[in-house]
Amino acid sequence: MSASYILKRIALIFYTLVVVSLLVFAITQILPADAAVMMLGENATADALEALRQQMGLNDPIWLQYLHWAGGVLQGDFGTSLRTGQPVGPALFSALGTSLTLAAFALVFMLLLAIPMGIIAAVRRGKFADLSVSFISYIGVSLPEFVTATLAVVLVADWWKLLPPAGYVPLTQDFWGGLERLILPVIVVSVMMIAHVSRMVRSELVDVMHTDYIRAARLKGLTPRRVLFRHGLRNALLPTITIVALDVGYLLGGVIVVEEIFSIPGIGRSLMSAIQARDLPVIQAGVMIMATTYAVVNFIADVTYAWLDKRIQYD
Amino acid sequence: MTSDNTPVLTIRDYSLAYRVPAGKIEVLKGIDLTVHRGEIVGLVGESGSGKSSLASAIMRYLPGNAEENAGEIRLGETDLRAQSQRAMADIRGRRISMVFQDPATSLNPTLRLGEQLAEVLIRHQGLSKDQAWREGEARLAHVGLKTPAEMMRRFPHEVSGGEKQRVVITTAFACNPELIIFDEPTTALDVITARQILDLFGALQAETGVASLYISHDLALLSQTARRVAVLEKGTIVEEGETAALFRAPAHPYTRALIDAVPHPEKPLVEAPVGTTAPPLVRIRDVSVHYGRKGLLDTLLRRDFQRVAGNRSITLDIQPGEVLGIVGESGSGKSTLAKAMTGLNAFEGLIEFDGRPLRGLSDMNRSYRRDVQIIFQHPDASLNPRQKISEILARPIKLYGNKDAGTTRDRIVAMLERVRLPASTIDRYPHQLSGGEKQRIAIARAFLSNPRLVICDEITSALDVSVQASVIELLMELHRETGATYVFITHDINLVRQIAHRIAVMYRGDLIEVAPASAIADPDRKPYTRELLAAVTPPASTQRAQPTLS
Repeated sequence: MSASYILKRIALIFYTLVVVSLLVFAITQILPADAAVMMLGENATADALEALRQQMGLNDPIWLQYLHWAGGVLQGDFGTSLRTGQPVGPALFSALGTSLTLAAFALVFMLLLAIPMGIIAAVRRGKFADLSVSFISYIGVSLPEFVTATLAVVLVADWWKLLPPAGYVPLTQDFWGGLERLILPVIVVSVMMIAHVSRMVRSELVDVMHTDYIRAARLKGLTPRRVLFRHGLRNALLPTITIVALDVGYLLGGVIVVEEIFSIPGIGRSLMSAIQARDLPVIQAGVMIMATTYAVVNFIADVTYAWLDKRIQYD
Repeated sequence: MTSDNTPVLTIRDYSLAYRVPAGKIEVLKGIDLTVHRGEIVGLVGESGSGKSSLASAIMRYLPGNAEENAGEIRLGETDLRAQSQRAMADIRGRRISMVFQDPATSLNPTLRLGEQLAEVLIRHQGLSKDQAWREGEARLAHVGLKTPAEMMRRFPHEVSGGEKQRVVITTAFACNPELIIFDEPTTALDVITARQILDLFGALQAETGVASLYISHDLALLSQTARRVAVLEKGTIVEEGETAALFRAPAHPYTRALIDAVPHPEKPLVEAPVGTTAPPLVRIRDVSVHYGRKGLLDTLLRRDFQRVAGNRSITLDIQPGEVLGIVGESGSGKSTLAKAMTGLNAFEGLIEFDGRPLRGLSDMNRSYRRDVQIIFQHPDASLNPRQKISEILARPIKLYGNKDAGTTRDRIVAMLERVRLPASTIDRYPHQLSGGEKQRIAIARAFLSNPRLVICDEITSALDVSVQASVIELLMELHRETGATYVFITHDINLVRQIAHRIAVMYRGDLIEVAPASAIADPDRKPYTRELLAAVTPPASTQRAQPTLS
């Protein structure tokens, strides 16, 4: 993989982020909310509102407002929350950290289960093991998170009292306590991903095991183990990388329900409450942070893919 | 291996069938075959004759629905049928190995060539990783690869087809096996590369004295490589004998038919061109085609962008009523030119059709599209699998048809008759037809618009020899009837010498020369043309007793 390919991808990330920032800024301009009114309340005098608008630059042309905002973002200043009056950045980054912790555990847990499940299903195609994996997968796909999450809380935390039902403690503060509270949400979030990743591994592996080069490897007398793991699995896992990168997006923004049920202060939840409160700077910053994380994760996935499959060399 | 008289491979009264829901399909019936040490036995047959199934049976690599009789398959003294899969894994690659048709698909795309060679040495010879790697380098040097160390580190997509096949062959010879099965090892390669691979095979074979079973559909090639040839038809060996004798006096009608179907440059199938005073139908002037697109980043950085040249200023005239053959290796730009002429590729330069200038797709109007038709190599890919033949063939009639020439259906049936297909074909789907029948449909589709120029892009390459012969016969008949001009793109030089008036030779995007077909073998041709012709295996029938003409 050439340096030029990586540079090209990085340039593409910046381009994406500029477009996202324009869109986010444009959408927040359309939202029916006046920042000055939000801060001073409904009963503020016209003069006070006007003075605040001047001070915040709300009377400037939109492009100038955008440049001010974008310039701030580039320097790490995401503005001030209209609701709390606190700087937006630190609060959101801490929420992002929480979400990423959940995501990382969920990904590792999911891969540890989904890849072996996919392999077993592919190798024992049409047999009992394959059908069981399919059955589990379909249950995972068809149950919404609020059902699995509620079930998990009711069974494990409420009835059996094995684990705390909710809450979040940063791992840096209390590692074992934090880990204990992460177990249920990680399982709930993983269930759905396990379903589609194991299906993906299975179908890719079945395809790969029917290729000419696998036949050639077998007819070279290689052991079944080497044929499967060295020749087959590597090629079958490549498309899975792309799927996993897409899952990270889901883990960051799409698990609000889980964050809500388990009271995890993740970025999805912060963004949701900001939208409800029409807290524009937080919405803008939240979307930007999520878009950046998403772009970076996909970049990592592309680079990994190109590293594993040397045929991918766009430049 | 007890004595030199024990054959390396013995197959006695072996039959194989596949169980399918509808019953049983017999693929091999009572096969008797032996291969001795140092011997090359050719196994010739058309697709569906069961030759690949025989290879799978020897390797004990059969699908679950295979049903075998009590016949015998022995490697030396070892009864292969009695071996467990685990025991077979020890035999495969060590005592029997195999070389496959297409090195591009038989090598794992994500593993280095070195690893794919060294793993056999590690598995069967108990070498360490380092030893195997060094041994691999030495073996690659031995098969004539100039930079073996570098070759070991490369991935399959980074080397040429010929280099890949050298690695595959090295792997097959790696453990000095007793028997090697070659399954059409040169079919996927270019003429010149194929010749080099054959030479390499000959050298290694002579050096090691390995017994070889050489599977091919190419009689010409077998007549030169094999000492004995077995002819397989529908699962039965209909004739077997010493190669020269078999080709000189084939006893079985099927063998005779196969030999007669092989294209023979000395027997032209096309009438000599009429004195051409007429202006050319097509004038191609300085036509270039480039692939690749300037990227966004290149534009931003004002970087020079190197495009890949598919064609470099081609200038060529095509006379009305002529059959122009275009030959060259893959990547020489033959199909690129055809695509430019049909508007499938953007091009620079000028194409004049019947005096009308064309500079690009926008100049190719409806009447041009009616006049110029193209037929592709794979009918499977060019016929819509979800449409019935009636729908496929109704299209050109709706687009270009003459309103008062009868109903669409009548015209389709009439056309089917012209391409020698029964009228009942009209209500079938492409997958219900054989490869040759599908290609006839593609030909029918092209001729329904009464074209003046028909471009045939490798249209017989995917077909068996006997089917190819009948498709060619049909094309030549249509040529006589319609007087349409043909551009016939192929890599089969024997074939094109038989049917073309003139032959254009292309190499890496350049037009090397255009010569009359009768003079293509002259000694004063350009060096590349001579090289190409020298690589061609002369047709098998040249070995038959020719009546003395002089």
